[in-house]
Amino acid sequence: MSPSSQAAGPALRSRGMSDLAIRNLFIIPTIVFLIVFNIFPLIYSLGYSFTDFRASTNEPARFVGLQNYRDLLSDPFIWRNFTITAKYVLVSVTGQVIVGFGIALLLNREIPFKGLLTTLLLLPMMLSMAVVGLFWKLLYDPSFGIINYALGLGTFEWLANPDVALYAIALVDIWMWSPFVMLLSLAGLSAVPKHLYEAAAIDRASGLYTFFRITLPLVAPILLIAIIFRTMEAFKTFDLAYILASQPTTEVISIRLYKMAFQEWQTGLSCAFAYIVLIMVLAITNIYVKYLNKVKER
Amino acid sequence: MSPRIELERVNKHFGPVHVINDVNLTVQEREFVVFLGQSGCGKTTTLRAIAGLETIDSGAIRIAGRAVQDTRPEERDIAFVFQSFALYPHLTVYENMAFPLRATRTPRDEVDRTVRRVAEVLQTSHLLKRRPSALSGGDLQRVAIGRALVRQPKAMLMDEPIGSLDAKLREEMRVELKRLHVEQGSTTIYVTHDQIEAMALADRIVVMHAGVLQQVGSPEEVYANPVNLFVAQFVGSPVMNVAEVSVTGQDGAARVTVAGAAEGFVFPAALIDRLSVAGAADKPLSLGIRPEALEITLAPQDGAIPVEAHLIEPLGSHDIVDLKMGPGFLRARTRAGLVPGPGTQVWVRADAGRAHFFDSGSGQSLGVRL
Repeated sequence: MSPSSQAAGPALRSRGMSDLAIRNLFIIPTIVFLIVFNIFPLIYSLGYSFTDFRASTNEPARFVGLQNYRDLLSDPFIWRNFTITAKYVLVSVTGQVIVGFGIALLLNREIPFKGLLTTLLLLPMMLSMAVVGLFWKLLYDPSFGIINYALGLGTFEWLANPDVALYAIALVDIWMWSPFVMLLSLAGLSAVPKHLYEAAAIDRASGLYTFFRITLPLVAPILLIAIIFRTMEAFKTFDLAYILASQPTTEVISIRLYKMAFQEWQTGLSCAFAYIVLIMVLAITNIYVKYLNKVKER
Repeated sequence: MSPRIELERVNKHFGPVHVINDVNLTVQEREFVVFLGQSGCGKTTTLRAIAGLETIDSGAIRIAGRAVQDTRPEERDIAFVFQSFALYPHLTVYENMAFPLRATRTPRDEVDRTVRRVAEVLQTSHLLKRRPSALSGGDLQRVAIGRALVRQPKAMLMDEPIGSLDAKLREEMRVELKRLHVEQGSTTIYVTHDQIEAMALADRIVVMHAGVLQQVGSPEEVYANPVNLFVAQFVGSPVMNVAEVSVTGQDGAARVTVAGAAEGFVFPAALIDRLSVAGAADKPLSLGIRPEALEITLAPQDGAIPVEAHLIEPLGSHDIVDLKMGPGFLRARTRAGLVPGPGTQVWVRADAGRAHFFDSGSGQSLGVRL
């Protein structure tokens, strides 16, 4: 033990921890952890993205410049993966916002068992992705799945049908993550002062007018935060798509990336691919954040 | 144009609390009525019930003759100024003021014309592009009133609209509100706990306590003839002196002696008869007398009793002097600087014409005036 931490010993008991003790105990381990497991691989893989390295062979990495990036961006199959992902993000995030915000509006009033109801609605979010994927696979099953039985669809193929599979996966994502949007929306809605609604009623505004002119603009910042989170998550979705279906039409970018890195062992190429995805997510998030700041200014 | 507002046997409970207790009131066309009372007396709830922001348990509310107690606020065509202003934080001043017009699909050029005209009247034209968060308290209040005025409402309801402003601004805004009412002439109900505001603004004051109307009358009436101890002590600043007294006849005059004091004030002998007519001959009795009805002199004079000055509050235009009388104090208003300091021996006389007598038990005024 260093002399300084020994000196901090009695103080720790009498008036909480000193700044120094907090630094030694919490901040330094965290930073070390971050550097070893996040920052180092990040930089190392950036280096690999300029090589033709393959982790499955013993051959040393050969520098190829921007060749990997050039190959990827001119590969029509990769662009197909991007299109699939974009479609998936759009459908799933839109669905989550509509369902989540809608439920939040319903819950934002005096109803019996509101707390219990809210907790129950949050359950899907607390389950493991893999578990959700597995039991939805059963629900979707064409011959004994309950969805076909309930909807009277006979032996409709949800996951084997290339036109439907992506939307079926998005539907599971909506089911799972709408509660998240609901939770944030609920926080935003309850932060709108009640007297604004009273003022709007006095001003003879209709319910719809009040919703679009008062409620929505005031909840917009927190709703945007929910959208940012969900977009980022949906963009890199892997588990659900991987477990539920293996159609070419459901090959979102992270599945393509996974195959490229760990089935085809194109390590250098996949590092470049990962970087392209990273830059895209950053760019999209940036647009949201800019808009968020604009909304928050007022 | 401006409607009459009538309340008939209005009752409301919040759980076990009877917040509005059988209230009957008619506010005349173009009248400015102030609900005055302590916080929690039911004045704001009554106002919100008129606006439709609260439901009532029983009774009727009529605006311009139409029963509205079961209608929603938007159907009552009244404007409401909130204590918190309730401006829409994400809209500019212009958009805030245009809101009631846009919500009812008023043509664009008419909205623009009206908003600019009202902004002119309220001297907020230079603020139109700002957001509420960038405004001072007084400007927020102007904008809130502006939003109420743009639609030329039948009636204006105001819930302590200047309660959150500082003293100087309050005085300015009071004058402005009075001017606006004179110019616009809409029927106005105004809620406040500040009796000075009430006196200054009202055509009639409605004093409320514990959900019950205590007295309805012009400011002069409420000030000069309070019907009970509550009104007597709530209206007027500094508050009316109230003390338990005994009345005895002596040397052809009535002596009104504060319990525990050595000597009593001299009142005309007629007081004794009047009190017995009022049926108060052997009930415990309270004298109510305003500080300005106590006259202080430094030298002995006819009918004055000697007392000791205790504390002196110099207020610039006048002083308030605490006089030791029995176990307590009476407060008197004197010319500034008359009493040189605490402990001074002075003589005090009560103006019999401005004395009030209350039944100590019920608190009701006995209606005995000399």
